[in-house]
Amino acid sequence: MTANETIHPTAPAPEIDASCRLPLLALLVGASVWLVVGTVLALIASIKFHAPEFLAACPLLTYGRVVAAANDALVYGFCLPASLAVIIWVFARLSQTVYTLPLVPVVAAHIWHLGVFIGLLSILLGHSTGFTWLEFPRGGSILLFVAFVLIAIPTAASFGFRLEKDLYPSHWFLLAALLWFPWSYASANIFLVAMPVRGVAQGVVNLWFANNLLYVWFSLVGLGIGFYFLPKLTGRPLQTYYYALYVFWTLALFGTWCGLPQGSPFPAWITTLSSVAAVLLIVPLIGVTVVFGRSLGGPGSDGPMGGPLSFVKFGLVSFLLSTLMYIALACPQISRLLEFTWFGVAQSQLQILGFLAMVLFGAIYYILPRALGFDFIAPQFIRAHCFLAGLGVVFWVAPLALAGYAQGANAYSLDASLNWLRISTLGLGFILLGNLLFALNILAMFLTWKLNLVKTLFAAITAPLKVSEVKS
Amino acid sequence: MAASIQLGSVTQTTVLNSSDVYPPQRTGDATLGLQVYRANGCAACHTEQVRQEGVTCAVVLTGAGKNPQAVTNLLATLTLTGLTKEAADAVADQITAAGGKVEIHIVPVGTDIDHGWGVRRSVAEDYLHDYPVQLGSLRAGPDLANIGVRAPDANWQLLHLYAPQSVTGTSRMPSFKYLFTVQKVGATPSPDALNLPAAFAAPAGFEVVPKPEARQLAAYLLSLRANVPVYDAPFTPPAQP
Amino acid sequence: MSADIKSSLPKPPSDPRPEAVRTTLPIWIIVLTLMLLFLGGLYFDNHSGWFQTQVYGPYASVDQLELYQPKSGAAAELARGKVVYEQVCGLCHGADGLGKPGQAPPLAGSEWVMAKGYNRLAHIPLAGLSGNISVAGKDWNMGMAAMGAALPDADLAAVLTYIRTSWGNGASPVPMEDVTKVRAGLGARPQPMSHDMLMTMPE
Repeated sequence: MTANETIHPTAPAPEIDASCRLPLLALLVGASVWLVVGTVLALIASIKFHAPEFLAACPLLTYGRVVAAANDALVYGFCLPASLAVIIWVFARLSQTVYTLPLVPVVAAHIWHLGVFIGLLSILLGHSTGFTWLEFPRGGSILLFVAFVLIAIPTAASFGFRLEKDLYPSHWFLLAALLWFPWSYASANIFLVAMPVRGVAQGVVNLWFANNLLYVWFSLVGLGIGFYFLPKLTGRPLQTYYYALYVFWTLALFGTWCGLPQGSPFPAWITTLSSVAAVLLIVPLIGVTVVFGRSLGGPGSDGPMGGPLSFVKFGLVSFLLSTLMYIALACPQISRLLEFTWFGVAQSQLQILGFLAMVLFGAIYYILPRALGFDFIAPQFIRAHCFLAGLGVVFWVAPLALAGYAQGANAYSLDASLNWLRISTLGLGFILLGNLLFALNILAMFLTWKLNLVKTLFAAITAPLKVSEVKS
Repeated sequence: MAASIQLGSVTQTTVLNSSDVYPPQRTGDATLGLQVYRANGCAACHTEQVRQEGVTCAVVLTGAGKNPQAVTNLLATLTLTGLTKEAADAVADQITAAGGKVEIHIVPVGTDIDHGWGVRRSVAEDYLHDYPVQLGSLRAGPDLANIGVRAPDANWQLLHLYAPQSVTGTSRMPSFKYLFTVQKVGATPSPDALNLPAAFAAPAGFEVVPKPEARQLAAYLLSLRANVPVYDAPFTPPAQP
Repeated sequence: MSADIKSSLPKPPSDPRPEAVRTTLPIWIIVLTLMLLFLGGLYFDNHSGWFQTQVYGPYASVDQLELYQPKSGAAAELARGKVVYEQVCGLCHGADGLGKPGQAPPLAGSEWVMAKGYNRLAHIPLAGLSGNISVAGKDWNMGMAAMGAALPDADLAAVLTYIRTSWGNGASPVPMEDVTKVRAGLGARPQPMSHDMLMTMPE
């Protein structure tokens, strides 16, 4: 059922887009800055492996701190706020309603970016909590939680007040994501920081959260957005509604148990359950493959290479690969070789930079010109970004995975993997260039919008002055 | 969440065949050292968990008995290591029947154990006193679950923190110079000054003295000694002299 | 859609809400899920140790873990006996087993310790001792509490073995089963032993 056929009085698309303008800008401008910061930090961390003495005298930039800050800047600085921005727009469009209370997410976005700033600074100053993906100390994590809830409530409300009652698969994925993050983030912080559990149970909670953020949450958001844009950009319907729904339920059911590796010092039932659940991820993996494959076939227009659709397609292929890697890591025979190597890093980086970030780039390139009502200042950068990001992800992730194999096969000797790591640093360089182009486009767009605003304001103030004030 | 409730009730245990309690409390310095470990993100490159892929039994002769020749001949025909418990029992029965005295040793096996990173797998008890627990997920450097057993010398640890390449030539570990002070040698040289090889030493007239953080971190590393048998991860410890 | 969106953006045919085809899910994917669940269940059954906290891989059950508990060899037994001795007995009898004048008789070279059998010896820590007794040619007249009554049988056997085989005492080791028997024979709250009572017992 399309918007034209519905019997409900719905808002026209430009009006909906305009209602999301302020939240989108507030979230995305900060996110694009953090994206560049995160990639620069990741590049510094990566270079340190070839020259251990590089910036070694500076405690702020020691490897352990930089790498944590880089990961958190990419995930909490870019992926989460950018996801929220896209979710706000997708929900408004799917519901055919103007976004209610646009100022709440604007305030929340500033709280969020302040939280990320405090968190990153704390990590670099040595005040991280010491838990992977939860390094932000209390000052940062509480702000993040409050900001997320502040954005999630009006966004979920816009779902509740929807004029178009018909549900679309993305509704399931994105609504679940809005609930999933506050729940898992709050639980993990309570059990690790506020009232820490004893001993190795901290490791269980930490890994449970890492899996729920990087695998479950990222997949929910990435697939939810991907399933929205795939039919939209190709002009062909999604094949099929129930496959997508089946993917959602199996992902939510099996995904949440994964991520506790075989060798960890946890009782056998925990790691066994986790690897069984990971192998069951084959079901959503098949589901996504079917949806992806069938939705791409048939008549329709795919648009030019390097446009938003290319980003989304790249992202979905990355999801398939990263899930395969995740399943492989959970199989005892394979994990014996690859556990604790760069292979795991490759998987999480593919999930972050190859999957979610790419889907988000595609979505943002589509949304932002519509929300602001004018095009990017340098539209040719989009294609360059697509090319650089694609090349970068391949050259960043594949060598890391191969480095992991070299490491596992050579008694964890770093020397065996060093050449692969050198190539991966190159890949990260490409990614940084691409991300710079992205950030430039977003910032230029933001500045143009600001400038237009000031111009309009200036015109409004100056125009009547000439007429009335001079004579009196 | 069930896991955290269940594991939250893990308590101290006793070392197998002994009345010692495990794990022992850390010293104050070592407890502070864990915070230095956390603050500098050491877990980004080091794990603190040893895996174990299997367990085998080894039959060890402790006395030849009255007919040593027969026992020796019998031993030559038998496999004595890498056995399952059932096979080890059968072999032990055969040797006992021939008059020899044997013990069955429990030997954990696994790639980590082969690397010398531990004698058994890591279990919940090993982390009882830790906050935050630093399991780590990447081994860019070696596992540290029993670094206190492998490198029990505090001075070695300090040298390694100040200039990793001075003690392990090909190390890719960055130097943690900022945990040390380079100061002018006073009227009497500081007793704590590091004894560095010439290539890494401070310029003439200067000495390298560890800050408290460096000493705490070294104390923490020395306290990582997961090397005793416990019920969840049994093995036969080597005979004490 | 606003007109000023330039042609650089890939233009979809229009900008409607995306559609999803609503054909029913084929049965094979549900059958596959159930099959995988079943196989996963079998695997879990074989490897999980059924939620026991103490079972870690590579063990799959408490029984298996129990099977691989090391039996303490003679050396471990002695080491354990030494630890228990130094904690419980050594305070009065001395770490060297030479005893302390006015506190406790020596164990090194004591005829009671080195007797052929260990029945009488085992009664002393389990029940205590009072009154006159001659040890290594000297008369001692003092009391000893039932110091061993609270020790597990394995620890007591280890400590008895330790004192019978250390400091030049060359007597036989004491198996745990015999300590269990002596303890059972004494009942719940035994009277302290005396020289005469001990002499009525088999050696």
